[in-house]
Amino acid sequence: MAEWHAEWYLSTLSHWLLVGAAMIGLMLATYAVLRRLKVRREAAAGYALILPWLLGFLIWNAYPFAYSLYLAFTEYDVLQPPKWVGLENFKYMFFEDPRFWPSVKLTVLYAFISVPLGMAGALATAVLLAQDVKAVGFWRTLYYLPSVLPAAATALLWRWMFASKGLINTLLSPIYRLLDMEPLMWFADERLVLPSFVIMSFWGIFGANTVILLAALKNVPKELLEAATVDGAGPWTRFFKITLPMISPSLLYVMIMGIIGALQNFTAPLFITTPSGAGTFLNVYIYQQGFTQYKMGYASAIAWFLMVLILILTLLVLRWSEAWVYYEVEVRQKRR
Amino acid sequence: MGLTVRRILKSALVYACLTMGAAVVVVPLFWMVSTSLKGPDALFSYPPEWIPRPPMWRNYIDAWKILPFGRFLFNTIFITALAVTAELITTSLVAYGFARFDFRGRDVLFVILLATMMLPGVVTLIPSFLIWRRLGLVDTFDPLVLGAWFAWGPAYIFMMRQFFLTIPKSIEEAAIMDGANVVQIYWHIMLPMIRPALLAIAVLSFQGNWNNLQAPLIYLNTMEKYPMVLGLKFFEATLSKEAPMWNYMMAMSVLMALPIVGLFFAAQKYFIEGINIGATKG
Repeated sequence: MAEWHAEWYLSTLSHWLLVGAAMIGLMLATYAVLRRLKVRREAAAGYALILPWLLGFLIWNAYPFAYSLYLAFTEYDVLQPPKWVGLENFKYMFFEDPRFWPSVKLTVLYAFISVPLGMAGALATAVLLAQDVKAVGFWRTLYYLPSVLPAAATALLWRWMFASKGLINTLLSPIYRLLDMEPLMWFADERLVLPSFVIMSFWGIFGANTVILLAALKNVPKELLEAATVDGAGPWTRFFKITLPMISPSLLYVMIMGIIGALQNFTAPLFITTPSGAGTFLNVYIYQQGFTQYKMGYASAIAWFLMVLILILTLLVLRWSEAWVYYEVEVRQKRR
Repeated sequence: MGLTVRRILKSALVYACLTMGAAVVVVPLFWMVSTSLKGPDALFSYPPEWIPRPPMWRNYIDAWKILPFGRFLFNTIFITALAVTAELITTSLVAYGFARFDFRGRDVLFVILLATMMLPGVVTLIPSFLIWRRLGLVDTFDPLVLGAWFAWGPAYIFMMRQFFLTIPKSIEEAAIMDGANVVQIYWHIMLPMIRPALLAIAVLSFQGNWNNLQAPLIYLNTMEKYPMVLGLKFFEATLSKEAPMWNYMMAMSVLMALPIVGLFFAAQKYFIEGINIGATKG
C-alpha cells in the first residue's frame, strides 16, 4: 500500500472550512454594513442572503465569460502570456481546421436526432403508464434506472455491447446470416458512430423524461377529456387535440433541456474510442485543444462558437414552439 | 360484453408493450452484471452465457487490486461529501433570499441567474482553470469542492426558490411579530419545512458530483488523487490497449454505479420530486 498522504485531504478540508466560514462572515458583514447605510432591514437581509451566488457569479461566471472572449482572439499556450492574433482563430476554425466541421456536424445531428427520438420513446412510455396500469411505481422505477447509472459506466457498457463480438452482434447474427451480410462494427465504423451514440443515448435518457411527461399527463384535467368524449371525440382525437397541447409546456422543457445537454455531450464520448476521431463531439474537441494540445486561445474560440450555437438553436426551438405551445394557452383561456 | 373483451385486450396490449420496453432496459443492465462475473474465456462464448457458471466473484477483488480503487472510492466520497454539503447550505440560503426578501434589482439578478443555467460550462472552463492555476491549487481537490461555497448550480437555486414560494408567508410573519431575526426564522422555521426540497437537491447534487468527469480530468494529475470516474477512465486506457478485459471493466463500472443505484432506491421519491420541481415551471 502506497503512502496515505493525509495532508492532501487535510489541506483541502481546512481550505473548505475556511472558505465556508469566510462566506458566512461576509454575509453577516454585508448585512451589518447595509444596515449602517440605512438600508431597509428586509433588503439588507436579501442582499446578504444572495451574496454567495452574487460573488460566485462575478468570480466564476462573469469574469471567466469575458476573459474567455478575450482569449478567443489570442494565441495562448499557458507558458507564454496570451498573444493577440485578431480573427486568426476563427479563420482557422471556419476555413482551415479539417476536424472542426465534422465535429459540429456530429454534435448537431446527434442533438437533433437523439432528443426527438428520446422524447417520442418517453412520451409513448408515459402514455402507457398513464393507462391505469397496476404498480406504476414499479414500472417507473424500472424505466428510470438507466438514467441513474453514471455516464461513464453506460458508455463502457455500450462499447462492450457494440464490440465486434459483443452482445448486439451475437443477437443479430441470425439476421446477418439471413441477409448474407458482414456484421456491423458500430463504434468502430466511421459511418455508424452517430447511430451508435443515438442508440446508446436513447437507452440512457428516456427514463428521466418519462417521469416528467407522466407527471404532466396526470395533470391534464379529466373533465376536459370527458367533455370531449361526450362530444364524440375518439381516443386519437382526444390525444392529439387535448392531451398533447395540454402537456406541450413539459414537452418544450424536455426538448430544450435535452438539446442543451446533448450539444454538450462529454463523458460518454470520452470513454468511447472511435476510428480517426469520428466520435469527437465539440465539447471533447474543446477539451483536447485546450488541455492536451494547450491551445487555450483556440479552445476558447470554439467554446464561444458552441455557446452561440446553443443560444441560436435554443432560440430557434423557442420560436418554432410558439406555433404549438401558444395553442395550449388559448385552450386555457377558453376554459376560464 | 364486447366492451369487456376490448378492455381486456387493451390492457393486455399495454402490459405487453411495457414488458417489451422493460426488456430493452433490463437486458443491458443484466449483461453488465453478468459480464462482471465471467472468466476471460466465457466473455465471447456463443451462444451468449447469461448466467456465468460458476460466477467469478474474484473478478471484483482482482480488478480492485490492479489500480488503487479503494483510494479512488475514498476520493470520490471525500469530494462528493464536501461539495454537496457546501452546495446545500449556500443554495438554500440564496434561494431563501430570492424567494422571500424584497430588494432593488432582485428580479434582474434572478433573470441573470436563470441565464447562467443556459451558459455551457465549457465557456468558463479555461479561465476558471487559469484562476486555480494562479492560486497554485491545480492537482489538489480544492477546485472540485471550494466553488460549491459560491452556490454553484443555478438549477438547484431555482428549484429551491420554487419550493420556498409554495410555503405560506403567514408562518414567518407570526415569527417576525415575535421578534425573531432572519437567522432564527431560517433555522427554526424554514429549514424543517424545506426538508423535502433539500433532500431532492442533495440527491441530484450527489449524483452530479459523483459522476463528474470534466473537472477532475482537468484539475487532477496525480493518479492517487483520482475519483472513481477518472480511475475508470485510466483503467480503460491502460487495460484496453491490446485485449480489453471487459469482465474487469464491467466489475468496476458496477462498483461505481452501485452507490448511486442504492441511493436511487433508498431516496426514489426525492429523485423523482427533484426532476419534477425543475420541470413544472418549464
